Amino acid sequence: MLSVEFRILFGVLFLGMALSCSQKTSEEIERWEPSAIVVAEWPEKSMDQIDFANIPFKNLSDYGFFKGEVTALAPKDRVLPYAPASSLFTDYAYKSRFIWMPEGETATINPDEEGTLDFPDQTILIKNFYYPLDFAQPQGPKRIIETRLMVKQNGIWEAYPYIWKDDQSDAEYKVVGAEQTVHWKDAAGETQVINYLVPNKNQCKSCHNANEVMVPIGVKAKHLNHTIDFLEGASNQLVKWASEGMLNGFDHPEAYPKMVDYFDSKEPLELRAKAYLDINCAHCHRAEGPASTSGLFLTYEEKDPLKLGVFKTPVAAGFGAGSFKYAILPGKADESILTYRMETNIVGAAMPEIGRVTTHREGLDLIKTWINGMNVKAYN
Amino acid sequence: MKIQNLQLLALFIFPITFLFFSCSSSTTEMTFDSSKLRKASQEEVEKVIEAFILAQDGDVIEIPEGFYSFKTQLILDNKNNIQIKGQGMDKTVFSFRELKTGGEGVKLVGNEILIQDLSIEDAPGDGVKSQHVDGMTFRRINVTWTNGDKSKNGTYAIYPVQCKNVLIDECIASHSKDAGIYVGQSENIVVKNSLAFGNVAGIEIENSDNAEVYGNTARDNSGGILVFNLPGLPKSDGKGTKIYDNDIITNNHVNFATPLGEDPNGNTVTMIPPGSGIILLAAKDVEIYNNRIHKNKTVGIAIANYHVTGFPMDAPNWSPFTSNIYVHNNDFKRTWRFPDLTKEFGQLISVYNAHGKGKTQDIIYDGFFDQSLAENILSNPMNICVQEAGIAELHFTLFDLWEGEANIKASKDYNPFVCQTEVFTDVSHLTHK
Repeated sequence: MLSVEFRILFGVLFLGMALSCSQKTSEEIERWEPSAIVVAEWPEKSMDQIDFANIPFKNLSDYGFFKGEVTALAPKDRVLPYAPASSLFTDYAYKSRFIWMPEGETATINPDEEGTLDFPDQTILIKNFYYPLDFAQPQGPKRIIETRLMVKQNGIWEAYPYIWKDDQSDAEYKVVGAEQTVHWKDAAGETQVINYLVPNKNQCKSCHNANEVMVPIGVKAKHLNHTIDFLEGASNQLVKWASEGMLNGFDHPEAYPKMVDYFDSKEPLELRAKAYLDINCAHCHRAEGPASTSGLFLTYEEKDPLKLGVFKTPVAAGFGAGSFKYAILPGKADESILTYRMETNIVGAAMPEIGRVTTHREGLDLIKTWINGMNVKAYN
Repeated sequence: MKIQNLQLLALFIFPITFLFFSCSSSTTEMTFDSSKLRKASQEEVEKVIEAFILAQDGDVIEIPEGFYSFKTQLILDNKNNIQIKGQGMDKTVFSFRELKTGGEGVKLVGNEILIQDLSIEDAPGDGVKSQHVDGMTFRRINVTWTNGDKSKNGTYAIYPVQCKNVLIDECIASHSKDAGIYVGQSENIVVKNSLAFGNVAGIEIENSDNAEVYGNTARDNSGGILVFNLPGLPKSDGKGTKIYDNDIITNNHVNFATPLGEDPNGNTVTMIPPGSGIILLAAKDVEIYNNRIHKNKTVGIAIANYHVTGFPMDAPNWSPFTSNIYVHNNDFKRTWRFPDLTKEFGQLISVYNAHGKGKTQDIIYDGFFDQSLAENILSNPMNICVQEAGIAELHFTLFDLWEGEANIKASKDYNPFVCQTEVFTDVSHLTHK
């Protein structure tokens, strides 16, 4: 009797191993190859002619953001690149971000603790998601998956998702989302294959949401108050925007909030961890965000240990709580709900709820190091 | 203050516990078989997704008969006066078994939203969630999980949170790993003529004001109806709930919120002992009357303070105490089944009650009270009132847990709590919808 059961058990185990092995044999998966690319140029189109009343356009090329060879994603004049100091993890996708504002109009930095920005109508934010085939050569051949636009009209932001064609000649507006098999060679030379999920249009607001109003996330002073490379040379982004005439009443960078880059190991651990949580979690986990229901607030500015999760019991986490009692158990990252939900890929337990199907190992390590370094006594 | 280490106790009775595990039942009962429905085409499925995404104020979204399998969430984004209508809960079925990402199957945001006559199955997280809605009606919707293995089920079936003016009418919620019908951080609520079965918690009102729960059946859950207030939430406390004319019967389902044999996690519901009819936890202003509370093997009504959880209790504008409770005119029937020993709270009731080991209790009060109000509980400082005709024959236990596990005391004396009190609710504007 027992031996029969064992045989079945082994049979199942073996089958399971065989299945998981065959999944990893990447040759068997129908792969997108760069040979699919049809080399094309962006059509000539002036952004001054954009008919905002007809947005969203059918194709990304209808806007005229880029020039030259299509996949280079080279911006036209006044389509300015930007990058937040710390960025959201999206299944290791690379991102290139641009902002366009109508000529002569300016944005204003609000005097709040994040340095939120008020943008003029007709501001457009452009975010491309792509995977270099080999992460060791990020400038080499790549596959662009999607481009997300946020456009402000009549005081209201709206999001428009565009999905790239397999031949990489253009991207098309699609509201219902999509699923695509993506592969790349990671920094260690290992081939990675995932089912990348393009969110549907209304899922955008799962993150871009303050009091049920759609808002941008990355374009705040605290995310932009650092130096990046522009075509004309390196500059603090706020200074650059001011010199381009895009900011109203700009003072000097020190006058505005600034968040660290969580990958910068020279910065204090606490700030790096909080920067990570801010850009990856705090769009929902804040008083005005959809996850306010939890009472777990993970902004860079949050000071209350309980709100940050220390000895905080869950509310509606369900099986997302794993076998743990608290969001953060100081000194014990492996017994904290926060890290459990960052690590798991089980739908309904994984955090963030959308935007990833894999675990961000580097981010997880950072948060674990932070929690393990907490002194329990400091919170009793 | 918390109950000190009941683990020792658990160790002592573990062999017994094991024997009686089989006493908690489990069910995978289905209201109907959705697999017999016509499968909607990919085009039809996308049409529904688009109807949600492109909805304009005032729209009626009619969904034809069929089984719709979604790989993405259905989200209604801040729209007003929307009606989402299927052809009946056994005719129009949304399945989220294929959902790869997202916290819930259906998410509704806006004002004056109605969803009716459809079923939602197998969402990985929550079935249908509505947030920041003023005027939310769920009518004749059925939310369930079809997994044979219930450990794979989702958290809440019907989940309005941070809403105002919520009506849940003639709905069915089953097999949730947490609460079937869960109303959180909301105000003005009616849950009526609905059925909750096979969940860990049948119906739960949490950090909410002005709620009436009536005409429902909560059966075969681990706990039938719960009124909780948890600390540290944006809506910091809640008060005013009436629970009347409900059938709260055989809520003896195994608590599957955590894997069998695993300790409770930080979710309060993981501590619910199978066999619980109604549980109040840090609840304020609750009236419980005219209910049939039958054959719940552990306890009919448990009046508990947050102290029993053992969790931290520091939170602004929130009290861990249950206060101003009026229990009257209910019909109790006990069962011969052995009360729960799988949860600490169940062990407390089973072993330490005032009527003898292994006896089902009708009403228990954990005996914690605000010591700044009185020196002992005999003056009834928290205003806990019980007026049941047959009180002398009921199994009533008052515990004293102040000294922890080392010295648990229990008394049958209900006399300090024979009183009347008033609980105010007003939901008349919702019952005519």
